[in-house]
Amino acid sequence: MRRYLGTLLLFAVLLLAWEYATTNGYLKPYRFPAPSKIARSLFELMTVGFPKDLTIWVHTKTTIIRILQGYVAALAFAIPLGFLIGAAPTLEKLTNPLIVFGRSIATLSLLPLVIVWFGTGELTKVILIGYGCFWTMISNVIAGVKYVDRTLIAAARTLGVKGLELYWAVILPAALPRMFAGARMSLGVGFMVIVGAEMIGTIEGLGALIMEARTFYRSEVTIIGMLVIGVIGFLISSGLMRLEKILIPWDAGLEDVRR
Amino acid sequence: MNESAPFIRFHDIRKQFEVGAGAPVILEGIDLSIAKNAFVSIVGRSGCGKTTLLNIAAGLVEATSGEVLIDGKQVRGPGQGQGVVFQQHALFPWLTAAGNVAFGCRNTPLSKQERANLVAQLLDLVGLGHAADKYPRELSGGMQQRVAIARALALDPEILLMDEPFGALDELTRIEMQQELLRIWQARKKTVVFVTHSINEALILSDRVILLAAHPGRVQMDLEITLPRPRVRTDTAFNAMYKEIWDGLSS
Repeated sequence: MRRYLGTLLLFAVLLLAWEYATTNGYLKPYRFPAPSKIARSLFELMTVGFPKDLTIWVHTKTTIIRILQGYVAALAFAIPLGFLIGAAPTLEKLTNPLIVFGRSIATLSLLPLVIVWFGTGELTKVILIGYGCFWTMISNVIAGVKYVDRTLIAAARTLGVKGLELYWAVILPAALPRMFAGARMSLGVGFMVIVGAEMIGTIEGLGALIMEARTFYRSEVTIIGMLVIGVIGFLISSGLMRLEKILIPWDAGLEDVRR
Repeated sequence: MNESAPFIRFHDIRKQFEVGAGAPVILEGIDLSIAKNAFVSIVGRSGCGKTTLLNIAAGLVEATSGEVLIDGKQVRGPGQGQGVVFQQHALFPWLTAAGNVAFGCRNTPLSKQERANLVAQLLDLVGLGHAADKYPRELSGGMQQRVAIARALALDPEILLMDEPFGALDELTRIEMQQELLRIWQARKKTVVFVTHSINEALILSDRVILLAAHPGRVQMDLEITLPRPRVRTDTAFNAMYKEIWDGLSS
């Protein structure tokens, strides 16, 4: 805790300065709502909800479920497909432009099309999230499989590994750290596209909350929405990192780089 | 050396990685016979094809023409009695020291207990009984190479092919590992083919030193080392041999 003391202190000073600036007219309250106002609204969100009955808990739960659905679906496609592509050089060369292309299309630019195809229901939101997660994940799975150290493969061959055993006994574990890094980045993408995905056809979810607040000039609610997204993103990412340490205990050297 | 029954026989090996006229010839006309239980070092400058030659014997690389025979049988791939130790980073990082060694003997018809005993015995042989549960990243470079040697010995191969196994180690660890290797070689009776660019290392270890010239890689010098063991680096005869090889290398 002590090592965070400085950061906390700095944070407190910033908040106090912000509070002072808004209550004394240096900043316009509707542009920069005072921290005290944000705190009051947060309490309102936790009890009454905004809109009424949709508390912050409901929004959070809805958002998490949507992200997880899109995320899990993306991983379910990206992992086997990426493994296959990474393991087959010809296939990799063939699909590489396609993957760079797909990855470059901003997820939200697909919004109008996806609405035309799938309407404005849940599916559309899950598909948008899944689309964003998919490209990040598949790129990392392919790279993980493709760049397995050749020495490891040679060593495995001298120890009598051949055929399919090479894939599950050597290439898969060798690619796991990179795949895990991809899974974490991919989840980050899920959180980044959530606001856009919840822009239409719903008043439930943190993204919807942020858009809804704009309509009512409740900038402090927008800020709360952002904060909550940030906090869950941080918590889930930390959880995944802990899981990573348990699942791949042999690999600890890269965690600072991946953070 | 027993010319009538060579244990490893390189027969007119030629290697080009690319085909076609003008493609660089890595190895040409390599003819060598290696006796059983001999310790043979292959020395040469970077790019003389010594690693390629070793990989051909390991069955990892195919010769463009010519063949390698082990005990009279043509090498068609790995697993014909060749244990291989690479320069570095060839341990499986997801397996512990014991796991890496056990991987070597995973397909042997041993019971679980017998296998565990074998692994423990091999780790003891390389002096790492205490580090069985450590992952490679937790081991020093020298310890990693000890595990790599134990793993290569797991199938009890008759031949140990070593590709600059101590090249990445510091001087002191390197000397220590050379002594270890000699001890293991004498205890286990293996035929060792050892690639190195250190003349000193070759002289300390080998019964025979083969010097390869580059472009194309070919045998330039083939020396029996009859100096008594244990060899002393400061010995006059040792230094005379060193000079002879050095002159060959720089000619």
